[in-house]
Amino acid sequence: MRKKNILIIGLLAALLVVLVSSFRAGAESESPAEADAARVDSSACVYPKEYMQTHHMQVLEDWKNTAAHEGPDAVHETADGRKFQKNLSTCLACHGSNRYFCFSCHAYANVTPNCWNCHISPLDTP
Amino acid sequence: MKKVFMPLIMVALLALIPYVAVTYANMSYLFGVIIPYAAAFIFIAGFLWRLFDWLRRPVPFPIVTTCGQEKSLDWVKQNHLESPSTRFGAAVRVLTEVLFFRSLFRNTKAELHTGPELVYASSKWLWMGGLAFHWSLLIIGLRHARFFFIEPPAFITAIEHADSFLELTLPAFFMTDAIVLVALTFLVARRIRDAKLRIISLQTDFFPLFLIGGIVLAGMGMRYLEKVDILSIKALMMGLVSFSFDAPGEIGALFFVHLFLVSMLAIYFPFSKLMHMGAIFLSPTRNLPNNSREKLHKNPWNKPGKFRTYAEYEEEFREKMKKAGLPVEKD
Repeated sequence: MRKKNILIIGLLAALLVVLVSSFRAGAESESPAEADAARVDSSACVYPKEYMQTHHMQVLEDWKNTAAHEGPDAVHETADGRKFQKNLSTCLACHGSNRYFCFSCHAYANVTPNCWNCHISPLDTP
Repeated sequence: MKKVFMPLIMVALLALIPYVAVTYANMSYLFGVIIPYAAAFIFIAGFLWRLFDWLRRPVPFPIVTTCGQEKSLDWVKQNHLESPSTRFGAAVRVLTEVLFFRSLFRNTKAELHTGPELVYASSKWLWMGGLAFHWSLLIIGLRHARFFFIEPPAFITAIEHADSFLELTLPAFFMTDAIVLVALTFLVARRIRDAKLRIISLQTDFFPLFLIGGIVLAGMGMRYLEKVDILSIKALMMGLVSFSFDAPGEIGALFFVHLFLVSMLAIYFPFSKLMHMGAIFLSPTRNLPNNSREKLHKNPWNKPGKFRTYAEYEEEFREKMKKAGLPVEKD
């Protein structure tokens, strides 16, 4: 019985060590490389309009997640080779020109996304 | 197993029809406008007809089922909920039945053990599964109000927020979506697993389960996987509730699968066991007050009868009765 307990505790400890080391390895591999020429090309959106109409929330979520992990390395490359920094400001650089760009459709469809819980809403900027 | 697979194949075929028709034949007007209107008409007319048909039947006897002490002498404590003696009490009992499935809560199962020994035990699984299923459906239905109102009522928005409280995915994951799928799986598995239930289950028991499952899967598919244009859908739905016949915009085929399956459910509804939705309110075993000792419940089927009292009988046969030595009340 006692041997069994020691075995279980030992296994748990081993598991913990493996987990911690794997997380540390992930943290170390993060290189502070410069964001290569991620500039906003405002002539066209990252995806076609029809795709963005239905999928923009998933694109934004993907951007949010990768940006959180990769920071300045998070660069989106479109199918035709243009590069965009994965950042909400990238979107708002063009779409922010109309303050109601997000809100008119969301209000019509009764959708309340939680973007503005953290980000400053275009409606709140002067 | 035919009775399980036939409904499954039927639902799959029903789902395939609008998909093929909209994708390859561009029949979105038929599936987006004409069929939903027809289905809504059949649903409302059929539902009302079934209710009217039940209401016009006389209720010959007070057949209320009770399981508590009925109203009696003052010093006997009445069970107001289980044996209501007023119309209000009966209404409360029906409502608790509708909202909480109280009679299903008392569900028992009988098992034959070696001995042989018959054992009865409480069985709450069906109650739990049914409750989860119906409440999820109600909440999902209410949530759909956002397609039918410019600004849905505040309590519906509150329900939606509570439902997506976990904020797991984007668009926000609704808890009821998962609950209804689990409950549906349980309700199907329950009919298949137990031999006794399997033998009394019919195609008409499996078909609505599969149909609702198909509707749920198509709806979840639209929300989480194969995205559709929600603005065109809202425009179409707002048009439908204001009796407009405008053609639907460019919407993904999955939406038409969802809408067509809902239309089929609406058409199927009045002709099927799903009418328990209306019937629960009209069931005389539930909606009658237990007051048969207080009030005379007249059978409306009774023809005005010709009665003869004993006094009249004796009046006619008194002399003959006396001769035969039979006792009479009056000399």
